[in-house]
Amino acid sequence: MRLVHARVLGCLVASAYFAAAWMPSVAGAEDAREAFVTNQLADSVSVVDLASMKQVAAIPVSGRPAGIALSPDRRTAYVTAPEGKELIAIDAAQRRIAWRQTVGEGPLGIAVNPRTGLVYVANWYADEIVAVDPETQSIVGRVKVGRAPSGIAVTADGATILSADRESDAISIIDASTLQRVGEIKVGTHPFGVSIAPDGRAFAANVVSNDVSIIDLGARSVVATVKVGARPYGVAFAAGKAFVTNQAARSVSVFDLAELKPLATIPVGDYPEGIEATEDGKAVYVACWSDNELVRINVDTLAVDGKAAVGDGPRAFGAFLR
Amino acid sequence: MIHTRHFLNRIVAVLLIALLPALAFAHGPSRKKEITTIEINVPPEKVWEIVGNYRDMSWHPAIAKTEADPGEYKKEVTKRKLTFKNGAAFTDTLTRYEPEARTIAFLTNDEDPKTLPVEGYSSTISVADESGKSKVEWKGAFYRGYMNNDPPPELSDAAAVKAVAAFQKEGLEALKAKLEGGK
Repeated sequence: MRLVHARVLGCLVASAYFAAAWMPSVAGAEDAREAFVTNQLADSVSVVDLASMKQVAAIPVSGRPAGIALSPDRRTAYVTAPEGKELIAIDAAQRRIAWRQTVGEGPLGIAVNPRTGLVYVANWYADEIVAVDPETQSIVGRVKVGRAPSGIAVTADGATILSADRESDAISIIDASTLQRVGEIKVGTHPFGVSIAPDGRAFAANVVSNDVSIIDLGARSVVATVKVGARPYGVAFAAGKAFVTNQAARSVSVFDLAELKPLATIPVGDYPEGIEATEDGKAVYVACWSDNELVRINVDTLAVDGKAAVGDGPRAFGAFLR
Repeated sequence: MIHTRHFLNRIVAVLLIALLPALAFAHGPSRKKEITTIEINVPPEKVWEIVGNYRDMSWHPAIAKTEADPGEYKKEVTKRKLTFKNGAAFTDTLTRYEPEARTIAFLTNDEDPKTLPVEGYSSTISVADESGKSKVEWKGAFYRGYMNNDPPPELSDAAAVKAVAAFQKEGLEALKAKLEGGK
């Protein structure tokens, strides 16, 4: 326990250090500079420079890479390879694979604990979440969840892990410190992506019921359901709004977080999937699986204002902005 | 004339199936793409008249009957049941209907492996004007018919890709023959 605490502290200190080093001193500087996009059909990860919207590198990654997350210091990109059954860690600056670890059957969703740096991987076929310690590059725990876990999210305080259990139509709640499943919340039909809003509520995109379940984590209950487009996949947040990729509608639904009122449906590319907002909330990036593009949405105008060509079948399922 | 691109490395898949029958052939289901195009020597409006009619897919030789919801086309609402010549059927939902762009898209929601061994098969058919002639593109996106681990061979990724490629090719070739033959 003491060891764990020491490591947590170390991570915190390190995070603070890197955060300080990262904080742009010039106001208005872009806070996310690169996107790491998993190209599932191309077996690669594209690195896109966000200022120029150009692919600047393509890192070969075998096993049909799908999910992605970044270490708290943003120096490592973690990628799941469902067909390779691996977690693959990429040195983001060096653009090369640093290490890889077999994690089990069908690793898909992935998230990093912002406090401890532990990496959580959802094993779709094994109905479990696996915790991997990047310091030792080894599996430190497993917890059974519902059927076919896909998306994972971790609360900002690092205390709680959520998994979207697609075939159970539920979100599992896992205590991060004990790695015990402490609850389950029924949501819509087939939740795939799950994200946590700045206000602490969790949003699950339900692929089959074409809606988003909004969860009060304290009360452990769904407090609202918002209709979106066909086959919603993931949710991102910027400027008090939620952005939802609708895979089969070629669009992103936007609704306001306070009133949950629909604001816009933004046409993007075909099969929009992974979605993430920059920390300054000015732009939202979307990977379009069918068009092989990373698309940028301007949060002020709610329109697409940039595109970058990436590899075949981009998914970027998770956190991919560095 | 027909140009089909495969995004699954079929040779590798076939080799793996052949060489590793005793090992678990464990795949995470990953969505596949299949794009089929054809040039048809008639104006695009003529082609759109046929493929843009969600209520009648009889232009495809495999389809025996189309039973669609009545009323105006409503995206993500209007559904139809497509009965294949072998008697099996699936339903799909209209996901795009854009006459100005001559683009229609539909997505299966009630699959039956006796039609095609797929899940969540999305089709986008668009007709482009190429100097008065038509270039028709059928973009398929789909999962294999078996969503769990270790699919039987008839429900594997390779089987899904093969079936979809053949289905799209058969449809576009028949469309071409129907339109060019009727000139």
